Amino acid sequence: MKYPRMKQLSSVASLVTLASLVAALNWAHAAEVEVERDARVPISYVNLVVSGGSVSDPADRLGLTRFMAEMLMRGSRRHTKEQIDLMLDQWGAQLGVETRAEYMIVRGAVLSRKLPEFLALIDELVLDPVFPESEIRKLRTETVSSLLSEQSNDHGLSTKQFTRFLFKGHPYGRPVAGTISNVEQIQRTDLVRHHERLMNRDRLLFLGAGDIEPAGFRKWADSLSARMPGRQPLPVISTPETSTTRRLQIVDKPDRTQTQIEIGQEGTLMTDPRHHALYLGNTAFGGGSFLSRLMQEIRVKRGWSYGASSAFRFGVQPRSWQVHLFPAEKDTPAALAHTLAMIESLREKGITREEFELARQSSINSAAFINDTPKKRIENRILEKTLGLADGFFENFKDRLEAVTLEEVNRALKEFLRPEGLTISVLGTASRIQPELEKVAKLAPGQTVVVPYTSN
Amino acid sequence: MKTSRKPLFATSILVGFLAASCAHLGLPGGPEGDQIPIADGIKAHRFRLQNGLRLLVIEDESSPTFAYQTWYDVGSRDEEVGRTGLAHLFEHMMFKGTQKVPDGEFDRRLEAAGVEGENAYTTHDHTTYVQELPKERLELIVQLEADRMRNLVVNDASFSTEREVVQNERRFRTENNPDGTLYQEIYGLAFTKHSYRWPVIGFAEDLAAMKAEDARNFYDRNYSPDRAVIVVSGDVDARQVARLVALHYGSHPRAVTPQAVPDLEPEQKTARRKTLKLDIQVEKLMMAYPIPAMSSDDMPALDLLQTILSGGRSSRLQKALVETGIANGAYAYAASAKDPSIFLFGATLQKGQRALGAERVILAEIERLAREPISEKELERAKNILAFDYYSGLEANSERARFAGHYESQMGGLENGPKYFQRLLSVRPDEIREAARNFLPEYRRSVVVGLKKNAPST
Repeated sequence: MKYPRMKQLSSVASLVTLASLVAALNWAHAAEVEVERDARVPISYVNLVVSGGSVSDPADRLGLTRFMAEMLMRGSRRHTKEQIDLMLDQWGAQLGVETRAEYMIVRGAVLSRKLPEFLALIDELVLDPVFPESEIRKLRTETVSSLLSEQSNDHGLSTKQFTRFLFKGHPYGRPVAGTISNVEQIQRTDLVRHHERLMNRDRLLFLGAGDIEPAGFRKWADSLSARMPGRQPLPVISTPETSTTRRLQIVDKPDRTQTQIEIGQEGTLMTDPRHHALYLGNTAFGGGSFLSRLMQEIRVKRGWSYGASSAFRFGVQPRSWQVHLFPAEKDTPAALAHTLAMIESLREKGITREEFELARQSSINSAAFINDTPKKRIENRILEKTLGLADGFFENFKDRLEAVTLEEVNRALKEFLRPEGLTISVLGTASRIQPELEKVAKLAPGQTVVVPYTSN
Repeated sequence: MKTSRKPLFATSILVGFLAASCAHLGLPGGPEGDQIPIADGIKAHRFRLQNGLRLLVIEDESSPTFAYQTWYDVGSRDEEVGRTGLAHLFEHMMFKGTQKVPDGEFDRRLEAAGVEGENAYTTHDHTTYVQELPKERLELIVQLEADRMRNLVVNDASFSTEREVVQNERRFRTENNPDGTLYQEIYGLAFTKHSYRWPVIGFAEDLAAMKAEDARNFYDRNYSPDRAVIVVSGDVDARQVARLVALHYGSHPRAVTPQAVPDLEPEQKTARRKTLKLDIQVEKLMMAYPIPAMSSDDMPALDLLQTILSGGRSSRLQKALVETGIANGAYAYAASAKDPSIFLFGATLQKGQRALGAERVILAEIERLAREPISEKELERAKNILAFDYYSGLEANSERARFAGHYESQMGGLENGPKYFQRLLSVRPDEIREAARNFLPEYRRSVVVGLKKNAPST
């Protein structure tokens, strides 16, 4: 494969990686319902977005929101897990609950002839879960095993450890799936209380698409939300602390022939007036294009890493901007040094006229892909609602880009980037890389944090 | 990168394509080509140039964009011992310069045009190049793809850098990835002669020894119009696409060298087993059984068998392995291919559970399938799951193009896609039982077990 993943330069939805989509915890108004009908393929798509994700986890019950979301699928007052599973398969349906940092999505699809039964089941699962003890025990073991299994996935592990290191104790640093010690403590009473706290008609967004009749869908949504309790505000998320000094963490894992390097800092908001300028600046620097400066310098010229990219993650508070590359162990110090120098240069000198023109032209010409499928339109709508963006934010994205100048991009980069406060996390075999990395990061020996890869 | 899409087709019906010059549009079947229905409201137009190039066009005006895919009938299956990984490494080289388009310009022109999802992937059997573009950019991509089919320049310096990139990709996908390691090992154990025994990405030592000259020879042998299928899906006019394709590809010559035929895999007569010590916290298991080629009449039953075992939430492996607390996840997968291939089982164990326990459970489930016919209700569930997969795989332009490219390039013709779907819906319970009996006998399995580095071996 040419790229480590499909490049989606112009898709704004992809600018915010799926795992990092976030939402305002307390929306301003009651449940909203939107439907986009397209009956060419006999499949109906149902999305129920509930504001309140893993940042709502109590500090001693990390992973509770995801656990509760999973438990919605494991038994209601009328059906056991086994019966639910059988029904869904019988209808040719898919249904699951996706938990993100600031909200969760009950997301399903079904052959459209079975839509009425499907909606009735979602209604029941969301409103009347029973959280059976036997299923809690099973899910606890499954989650712990899954957290252990994740330790063999270097990239996933690296991103998780970087996020925790970057945000220190802030809720944005919490792993969505929780920690082994916390998950082992989750009890039924925690789930019942958390369900009452999160499932609230003032924090719902219903989105239907595909072969779906709008009036029927609205009726179902209205009926479901009417049976939920009203406003029960969730705590406001504080602004993450800004790091002023450079920090280095090594996630120590034995016998690596390759490292995972993550470099980043606190991010911005999508509502920031500099957003479109920073979007173009990031596109030119490392936004997924093969022609980006990072890709050219790290991969094309030097062959150091299969992938090299940079991306923003957005939330109701500033989240992160981060660079990722994965060189061979032997090339790690040089690759880190070069990347740090590139970030410093990006701040000081900005991007060139040629880079700007390509990023701008490419982004404008590919604007048709921002909204070209129902799936993307749904994701964009979720972002608009949950991040407090203006209606039509994504439809107007092209017009906003057209107005951005090179000077604005470079001014925004200069204001935003803080090379002296970068957080660096490298997953690799510490004994073989630590001294060199400290030199490259310009840190005194002993300032580096070394964590075993099994820590959680 | 090995594609994860499961082939949906079994019967090989070679289609007598309409040979005609699109440049003159004197096409049997009319200027709109041969029309092939795929689903209600979705059809493809098929054209074939005199040089053997096949073109499929699916018109859809729902967004002002289109997907463009080029499927080459060459993969790691066509490599030689000592040159493993060449098909994939060459795929990377296809993004370098040509005689007309200097290095870097291919990407630059497409980026400037607003390309989306520009990428490529290599499998055992084929190599596919994919893009999506705004509808106004049709001629640009036709020109660029036609040019690199014929005029690529492989220079030593860029080859050397790209070889290192691929070594890094290999470190990422295999060396530092337990699942990738197990995947490589199960193919290496299940095949002893056929070229499917080596990984698509190749062995590190072969990559290290490879030269630019190897890539140039590979290109000359394998990249030609008669070994390619182009699929365009989106807001385009089929006749206009056909005209442009004929104009830009029409003069490309057919291949001169016939493709080599891989060694036949001898029948497996006894079980094989391998144990690996890995950096993992929970044990892993992979099992493989030989199955026939994707063109076999047995494939629909094997696809349903796979769905019964691990499709959906109520599948047999979900109940027997996950619900019982043995595994965290388990799957069955008919990894069908152009030549006889393997039916895979995989499981990631729960904390404290042993891979051997999961193996026993899977064997018991296979034995049950071979002994007892499944109920009509269970079969219906499996068919509904596959029906969902079929329709959901036809929604976006890129998905339709992938569906069409797969059947046209790998399965004897696009019309075999809908036919295969109908055949799936007609499979009977006794056919499932026969498939389990014939293809999953215990003695024909290959097993790879992944243990924690400090764990006892049994």
